[in-house]
Amino acid sequence: MLFTFINSLTLGMAVFLVAAGLTLIFGIMRILNFAHGAFFMLGAYLTSTLIGDMPGSIWVLIGASMLSGLVVGVLGLVVQHFVLSKLEDVDEHFMLIATYAVMLLCVGAIKMTWGLEFHSVDPPPGLDLGVVIFGTFVPSFSLFIIGAGVAVFLVLDHVIHCSWSGKLAVAIARDGWMSNLMGVNGPLGVRMVVGASFALAGLAGGLLLPNQTLSPALGDTFLLMAFITIVIGGLGNIRGAFIAAIILAVIDGLNILFLPGFPGVLIYVGMVTCLLLWPNGILGESRL
Amino acid sequence: MSSSLAERDSRRKPALTRPGINNTLIALATLTLLAMPFLTNSGLLYLVGTTLVLGVYSVGWNLLFSWAGLASFGSGGLFAIGAYVSAAAIRAGYDQFFLLIVLAGAGAGALVAMLVGLVALRRTTGIFFAILTLSLSELLRHTLMHTRSLGSEDGLSNITRPVLSLGVVEIDLTSGPTYYWFICVSAAVILGLCWWLTHGPFGRRLLAVRHDIERAGFIGIDVHRSRLAALVISGAVAGCAGAIYAPWAQIVTPELSGMVRSTQPILFTLLGGLQSFWGPMIGAFVFMVIEYATRTLVGIQEIITGAILLAVILAFRAGIAGSWNALIDRLTERRADK
Repeated sequence: MLFTFINSLTLGMAVFLVAAGLTLIFGIMRILNFAHGAFFMLGAYLTSTLIGDMPGSIWVLIGASMLSGLVVGVLGLVVQHFVLSKLEDVDEHFMLIATYAVMLLCVGAIKMTWGLEFHSVDPPPGLDLGVVIFGTFVPSFSLFIIGAGVAVFLVLDHVIHCSWSGKLAVAIARDGWMSNLMGVNGPLGVRMVVGASFALAGLAGGLLLPNQTLSPALGDTFLLMAFITIVIGGLGNIRGAFIAAIILAVIDGLNILFLPGFPGVLIYVGMVTCLLLWPNGILGESRL
Repeated sequence: MSSSLAERDSRRKPALTRPGINNTLIALATLTLLAMPFLTNSGLLYLVGTTLVLGVYSVGWNLLFSWAGLASFGSGGLFAIGAYVSAAAIRAGYDQFFLLIVLAGAGAGALVAMLVGLVALRRTTGIFFAILTLSLSELLRHTLMHTRSLGSEDGLSNITRPVLSLGVVEIDLTSGPTYYWFICVSAAVILGLCWWLTHGPFGRRLLAVRHDIERAGFIGIDVHRSRLAALVISGAVAGCAGAIYAPWAQIVTPELSGMVRSTQPILFTLLGGLQSFWGPMIGAFVFMVIEYATRTLVGIQEIITGAILLAVILAFRAGIAGSWNALIDRLTERRADK
């Protein structure tokens, strides 16, 4: 039972890693970014090219993930410059479909570069075994993902709520016009946050790479789960996303224990219930 | 615009007008579609028939989007419901009542849409409505994937095309071309109904709600009920299209409820033209041509589709239908000025 919940918590934190960037870009630009899953996948493919099938150590994995995060972040700036910034004043549905188009472009590029076949990457030495906690065998790679999720959450939360640049970003998100009047460079701030959001997608792709089967359909699975997470938690709300990821993990664990014939069904039921009880998410919608 | 055109028409009577040209085009397209079985091989005929069904389904989605202003990302679920109803009924041996089965598919789609609408529409709009519908259709897909009596992940296959019995006459739809003509006729009936609904008082009411929900309420329109009605109608069209699709494809799988199917009408509508009745149909056929032309190129298909979509959104937001109409207007105006 503990094993089940650790597994589900690993899934929850993995989803949070993807959802963090998604909620960030929603907070600053009010965009539901369909392309996020594709860029997450791009991060995974880039990392796999960098480290090969057998990563040398944990640090190689983390370093390669950060590097591909950086590359994806720069690509995000390109997308922001040529697509997103041109659509700020039109109906929100156009933005939704524009990100869908960017997703298609990204998936197409991945299929052309890396082909359709499945890849898999082993966890680095030190993470390929397991530890025994309270008499239960726990894969150490699960602990690594849970740790990574918590670390990313703490860093983001600190940056957004305690640092100067984070507060500026919040100001831009809440009232861009007013903060421009106060001498804040709004467009630059938006660019930084969008870049950070895409970079998070790339980083998440790299960190979650081991133990995944890497195929061009990887992005969709995570994207939908991440959507659900940020909707339950409250769009644009990083703390909400973290709590929602844990709730999803618990629901998924219950699903495996009590409804093993229908894997993945309870999550959708839980999400619909949450959305009807709290239409704006558990912690409410927030602008960062 | 249209009134000034009409005035000019009455004064100068130019030979060509926009409605005239467009009606001619629609008539030509209809004739071409009807003659398709004589013009192509069976593989292409299958593609055209599928596109026709998907086009009808997208017109139903667009009724919800362009008229009521609601973007549903879960219409694939309603399509799948119709398809599974039809598939299960035909496999159970009720295929001589196929017309009733199609109606049942439409009814099932409408019923589910109404249940969703009753709960969801009062509480959610915009992005929340999009995500809610998206996850409901995913829920359906996962349930279908794990329900053994509906074939689990393999779906229901070997669906025979029915022999219709209408009391006095029996119509054999088992061959490809006859079922294709059946699709044409039912598409015409559904599109006619949709046209009648959108171009009458009901359509006007929906447009008012989409433009300004508060003012629409002030002038006495029941906003909630109008939206619900639009959702139910679009659900009925999706279910009906699904029910017709099942014997045509002869197999139904849980993937019908997936994200790809749900986003198809969005892409078709956008490419073909928003706020245009025929837009989704045009978009469906243009997409068919693109996909057919790029079918062997791995990856390039997505890139081309994505690039076209981006170009439409960034440069031609009115889509093919809108740009075409603007072009014709300019040409006829110049002719009239001379």
